[in-house]
Amino acid sequence: MWERSVWLNNSSSATLRLMVKFNKVTKTYGEVTALRDVSFEVKDGEFVFLMGPSGAGKTTILKLILKEIFPDTGEINVGGVDVLKIQEKDLPPFRQKIGCVFQDFKLLNERTVEENIEIALAVLDVPEPKWKERVEKVLKLVGLLERRGLFPSQLSGGEIQRVSLARALVVNPNLILADEPTGNLDWEKADEIMEVLEKINAEGKTVIVATHNKEIVNKMKKRIIKLSGGKIIKE
Amino acid sequence: MKYQTKSAITSIKRFPYQSLAAIFLLTVTFLVVTILAVVSYSSGKVIAYFETRPQVIAFLKDGTTTETISALQHKLQNDLRIKEVKYVSKEEALSIYKDATIDNPLLGELVNPSIFPASLEFSLNDLSKAQGIIEEVKSEAIVDSVGFTASLGGEKSLGDVVERLRKITLYLKLGGGFFALLLTGTSFLVLVITLGMRIASRRGEVEILNLIGAKKSFIKKPIIIESIIYVVSGVTLGWLMILIAVLYIAPSAINYFGEIPVLPRSPLMFFSIFGIILLSEAVMGILLATIGSNLALSRASRKK
Repeated sequence: MWERSVWLNNSSSATLRLMVKFNKVTKTYGEVTALRDVSFEVKDGEFVFLMGPSGAGKTTILKLILKEIFPDTGEINVGGVDVLKIQEKDLPPFRQKIGCVFQDFKLLNERTVEENIEIALAVLDVPEPKWKERVEKVLKLVGLLERRGLFPSQLSGGEIQRVSLARALVVNPNLILADEPTGNLDWEKADEIMEVLEKINAEGKTVIVATHNKEIVNKMKKRIIKLSGGKIIKE
Repeated sequence: MKYQTKSAITSIKRFPYQSLAAIFLLTVTFLVVTILAVVSYSSGKVIAYFETRPQVIAFLKDGTTTETISALQHKLQNDLRIKEVKYVSKEEALSIYKDATIDNPLLGELVNPSIFPASLEFSLNDLSKAQGIIEEVKSEAIVDSVGFTASLGGEKSLGDVVERLRKITLYLKLGGGFFALLLTGTSFLVLVITLGMRIASRRGEVEILNLIGAKKSFIKKPIIIESIIYVVSGVTLGWLMILIAVLYIAPSAINYFGEIPVLPRSPLMFFSIFGIILLSEAVMGILLATIGSNLALSRASRKK
């Protein structure tokens, strides 16, 4: 397992070790090939955009990193760990080190904003007295401190997206995966989300963002991996 | 653990109608289980009462010496098929007769003590062996005749009595066992279906927890705690209703059945028995809740 100290150093100048490595990865869903011989590397502390139209394979890459799905062929290494060799029992601690912002948010509708974020801390077995401080810190970061007691159904799309981001950040992950974090948001809100991610990256965390939003990508001027039809077409 | 308990309680609060339905179903189930437990206890006591009463009386010949009586008594006591051998002298027999005819003292005064034979009374461990034992005792030199007291009315021979008692016992055991099995199965199904419904509404939560790295035990605990809350509520309510009902009917039942101990007469014993029933149901319920929630969870994950 990778060392937590990488993040705890809180330094963007940490040695650029390999964080994610895909080696000739292919993934098919029935007769549809989602990824074809995809190889790329993301260094520790990098900010990378996976860019491409719908069906390009961006979400598949994120799911493979999280070991939500298995590749047909190829190798995937995350933080020095061969993902394919992770045993079922070791999967929870592996996932605990990755912060995810899901395309469909994956928030619990019957829980408040605060409770949705606390769940991530409970999963990590963080002592309850420390929750308040950490939850407040991330809520401030995403600008939702005033909305902590509301339910997701009482929030706007952008706010829901930011709750999802706050939940991903509260566990101090080494790696952040964000799947279309600006999807369906207006320019201003999308910009706010990207600002938060940039701030997090500046603290030394690795950020991988899957998006089809060209404007955002062009504005951010970060490394881009362009995908189309399950292949990397430009890096 | 604190979080899991809070999560279970939150889930109950946010789905009050589903939770109430689950508690109501389990209350009905455990109400019937408690009735069955009380009926089992009472029928067991009734059978034991009849079984431990002296069933065989060996009337002894006049002039039998104390030594020979003691020898036979000792022989019977050592027989594993026989229990509780008691010697009744002529005087004791007269006293029993007088007690029985206390309402009509003239009947008691008319008889001479010498007409009552001394006897050895004993019970049997297994009524099916009664015929053989009676034949053996009859063949003893000091035994004049042998009587069999057990009768539920209408039987012409010892075989009938034995057969009838055996049938009643068997039916009670079979019926009770079948009913208990049926109820346990039903309550288990009720629990699995109810929990399945609850888990189905939490499937999204299970998926999210999986993705953010929750261990299986972390995901399971709130669901198990929730089901334990339902079961404990159901057990307590069902048990309490029957306790109140039995407390209400106890004086009439004790009065009606007389010396047959259908219910314990001592309050301590009464509440101890109900305590044991509650404890057993709680253990059974928690076991059912744990197995049921695991089963419902694995079904839910398979469906995913």
